[in-house]
Amino acid sequence: MKLNLDELINLDVRGLLKLQEQGIASAVEIVGSFHKQIEQENDSLNAILATDFDSAIQQARQVDENRAAGKAVGSLAGIPVVVKDCICTQGITSTAGSKILERFVPPYDATVVERLKASGAVILAKSHMDEFAMGGSNENPHFGAVHNPWNHDCVSGGSSGGSAVAVVARMSPLALGSDTGGSIRQPAAFCGITGLKPTYGRVSRFGLIAFASSLDQIGPMARSAVDVARLANVISGPDKRDSTSANRAAADFSAELETSLAGKRIGICTDHLGKGVAAQVVDAVNQAVAVFESLGAEIVETGLPHTKYAVAAYYLIAPCEASSNLARYDGVRYTTRVDAADLGHMYGRTRAQCFGAEVKRRIMLGTFALSSGYYDQFYLQASKVRRLIKQDYDKALERVDLILGPTTPTAAFRIGELIDDPLSMYLADVFTVSANLAGIPAISFPGGFTDGGLPIGLQLQARSFEESLLLNAAHQFQLQTDWHQRRPA
Amino acid sequence: MTESQDRFSAEKVARLARLDLSADDLKQLQGELDRILDFVNEINELDLSQVEPFFGAVDSINPIREDQVQPGLTREQALANAPDSDGEFYRVPPVFGN
Repeated sequence: MKLNLDELINLDVRGLLKLQEQGIASAVEIVGSFHKQIEQENDSLNAILATDFDSAIQQARQVDENRAAGKAVGSLAGIPVVVKDCICTQGITSTAGSKILERFVPPYDATVVERLKASGAVILAKSHMDEFAMGGSNENPHFGAVHNPWNHDCVSGGSSGGSAVAVVARMSPLALGSDTGGSIRQPAAFCGITGLKPTYGRVSRFGLIAFASSLDQIGPMARSAVDVARLANVISGPDKRDSTSANRAAADFSAELETSLAGKRIGICTDHLGKGVAAQVVDAVNQAVAVFESLGAEIVETGLPHTKYAVAAYYLIAPCEASSNLARYDGVRYTTRVDAADLGHMYGRTRAQCFGAEVKRRIMLGTFALSSGYYDQFYLQASKVRRLIKQDYDKALERVDLILGPTTPTAAFRIGELIDDPLSMYLADVFTVSANLAGIPAISFPGGFTDGGLPIGLQLQARSFEESLLLNAAHQFQLQTDWHQRRPA
Repeated sequence: MTESQDRFSAEKVARLARLDLSADDLKQLQGELDRILDFVNEINELDLSQVEPFFGAVDSINPIREDQVQPGLTREQALANAPDSDGEFYRVPPVFGN
């Protein structure tokens, strides 16, 4: 009962585990199949920056040997995972999408990578991203744009664009992304997959090349909520090496998937569905409301009144934190250097020539907003707005269990459309940044398609540490719909 | 405080941020950042005098551990990504030039 390549790469995690358990395919064959798909598709999509096939096959072989010897194999045994390139993988370049790290090879694995390897998962490839995770389109100045498999002229979304594309194009069943202002959820929405931003502190940031330390979270991406939950289980939990990781044991995120939604209260912010949101996106939200009502949930009108200030607050706080985190890239320690006769010019030229335009913009903005005389007016004020946004959620989530809405105002835009208009690009983050500012978890899952065949993403948000409820709701929705199973031509 | 256009100097900030930018790049960034600053400045419409800032949720502040030596990177591993090294230190150009 052999499967052809196409059938194999279309299986979910449960299907791939069963293939191995039943002896139909080995981990080595599985990894080989997904690697082949990368070779076939990556030229046109540009989702993958690096692979280390030898190392991947070695990991797979170890799984097969353990299984044959009757030893325990982990929960993701033989399952390929694509890892966003801002997450450190020992021995494999980790560039954060930047020229300034293009040859950087970390001497250690990030905690999440260690945990993946311990679960038997196979690190298949490093995925493309917006430089230093700063962007919403994955139009990278150094390594080129990532193309949306649903329409190659459109963006994949970002900054975890490579990961999102890898999953929907069947290059891998699972991927890791990172989310600072929407960078898992927005590409998940644009590519038609499911992506979770965990509660801040839920997943260790040790080994994540930092963008904004109070906002960044690594998170799981897959086609279904079921598979996102499996991956979340492996990567979550406290880590002594990340002092911001929460002191609370990770739940089993798969345990609540089948729970009925009867009696759950789902909030809708009607003023989030007005001007600026595409009509077909609004339709998708309304259709989702009907689905959730049919599952017994109660829909409640709710409000997040300070949303209109969220993007401004985010585009102060994140660049401020980034200006500090990126100060270390100065040509001294991390491979890339532009030579000069004196130290100051070495710093200045390396940074000016090896950072792209968006990164320089944000470093400048952040440096200014933290500088003497301006700190109070910009960074401190933005942090006060952040308090108000958190309070909005605290209030709303007393009256409802979940907040439902669109992930983005529109479906994927065309490559080149917004790259010269940074402000318009920033405004597209209006629905995603608040969850990062408040620290709460949020999930994006497929909710339909536009007439043009582009995916539409829906977002659910919940109280801190209630990822199980998010996954439960997304899974129940996915039992009633098949948007998440569609496949680009 | 005066209007943002008077305050933000791309040239001064580029120096603070250690970015050696060309005159053209500085001009471009001056324009872009003036627009962005106008936009983000809208947060100052709000009266936030009674609001405490929020810098992100963490369980513990400055957690410490026992002062015991733990295994770390070898010198060789640590210098493997050095643009220039003498095997012991990272090597850089002199502060005041040659």
